[in-house]
Amino acid sequence: MKNIHLSLYLMLGLLILTKKNTQAQSLRISYYGETISHYGLKTAYEYPLFSKIKERNQSLKMLLIAPSAALYRHPHNHLGIIIAPELIYRRIGKRGTLLEAGIAPAYFRYFLEGSTYQVTANSELERIRYAGGNAFLPTVFVGTGRALSVRRGLSFDWYTRLNISQQRPYNTSALNRFSLEIGAIFPFKKQ
Amino acid sequence: MKTIHKLFTSLAIILILVSCKDQDVEPTEQKTLFLRHKGADMPVWVHGNAQSNKIVLYLHGGPGDCAMCYRYYFKELENDMMVAYWDQRVAGASSGKVDSATLRYAQFSEDAFYVVKLLKQQYPNAQIYLLAHSFGVELAWQFLTTNNNQQMISGLMAVNGMFSYYRWLYHVREWALREAKKQNNAEAERELMANPVTLENTATVNWELIYRWMHKLGGNPVSLYDDKKYLANYAFASPNTALAQFTHSKAYSYYGEVESRLFEKGALLKNIRIPVRLFWGVKDGIVPVEVGRETQQLLTNTSVSTVEFSQSWHEPFITETQEFNNAVRSFVK
Repeated sequence: MKNIHLSLYLMLGLLILTKKNTQAQSLRISYYGETISHYGLKTAYEYPLFSKIKERNQSLKMLLIAPSAALYRHPHNHLGIIIAPELIYRRIGKRGTLLEAGIAPAYFRYFLEGSTYQVTANSELERIRYAGGNAFLPTVFVGTGRALSVRRGLSFDWYTRLNISQQRPYNTSALNRFSLEIGAIFPFKKQ
Repeated sequence: MKTIHKLFTSLAIILILVSCKDQDVEPTEQKTLFLRHKGADMPVWVHGNAQSNKIVLYLHGGPGDCAMCYRYYFKELENDMMVAYWDQRVAGASSGKVDSATLRYAQFSEDAFYVVKLLKQQYPNAQIYLLAHSFGVELAWQFLTTNNNQQMISGLMAVNGMFSYYRWLYHVREWALREAKKQNNAEAERELMANPVTLENTATVNWELIYRWMHKLGGNPVSLYDDKKYLANYAFASPNTALAQFTHSKAYSYYGEVESRLFEKGALLKNIRIPVRLFWGVKDGIVPVEVGRETQQLLTNTSVSTVEFSQSWHEPFITETQEFNNAVRSFVK
């Protein structure tokens, strides 16, 4: 529970403390899912904390903070909401190749997808609405994509990302999870 | 912004279309229930013919295995009855925050009691049968020999599972010794001969050595991973949590080292009054058919029938699916 609070406070803190800079902010929207059958959506708002263009190869290096939220459905099992402050290192090469890696100490809330009955102290079964649980979901990720703005002059970039997370607690210990994101990044201003 | 709007609309349409699939039409039941008890959220998926008023509650093996993952083999039964697939605590797609100290026979039995109670509450006119496999059979004996639990159940189908740790290990060793001789495996024979199983040493004998040799000698060569269609179904069509299956076994060390070694229900089987059918893959080395034959002899106060599957090992429902399902149907009708 301490970890869950920590991730929420961290995200709030980063949101407040991140100064509104003149550099490009962007909106990220993607498909999010464990497989095609556990499907969902994810969105994030990216703030650059730091960016630098390397003169030698004209590559752009950025450090971004991105409050994000994902919603997915694992049919007949649960609905999941993941809220995370993401810290992203991103490099965009001269030809527009996008590479990124990062971490996200996420908060995970899930709702069981089915009627849930709890055993009461009188050994009776009592229906509970919106049953589910909370968990800490530390995540690391790597991604790749292409900044279409670099060569094609389009106003968005595409990316794909592999997330590796660990759900804590899960039963008696923890559960490793893999998930995939495929989506687009829409800058609000030209850099 | 137009592009964002289009993207959102397309994704929303895709999500709606995908979420509309796999909806069975009444009177076919398709319900997901969860039982929350002592830290565990245990799913119970009920599928099948609701008009039959018969529910087969599948007690999966393991411990730590899954129920819904075997629906692939039992699905055909759903035309004639409802099948309730229950994932036990710390198994399958069960979740929650569970104390490993609850992973005891008594707790599993208590969970089973509430699962049956929940099914009776949801389907008050239905008769409930247990279809128990491997560890599920241990759980079934624990449940049925506790209080008046058997009054809630119309019949038990026990598949390749034990009633006594001692008798189980004894027969596993005997099976392995027979195979070692047949296969001229001197090393296996020597090691197995050096580790006899007696009532007195059951709790201390090197069971892993015996178990390992049993596997090496072909005690159960069936692997679910060989069936690509099954794997695709598991990955994309089952509600299981993909990697969870691999995390469960770590929680059962106490079960393996202490709890299971004390399991002994032989003397209590005479108290069973509900009809029992024993299903056995006769080539099984994990729980040899001799355990089934002893089980039958101990069930002295009820009607017992046995169906042996000559081409099967530990999971006859995988290797002789059609014959297995026919035997379930004939017991439940």
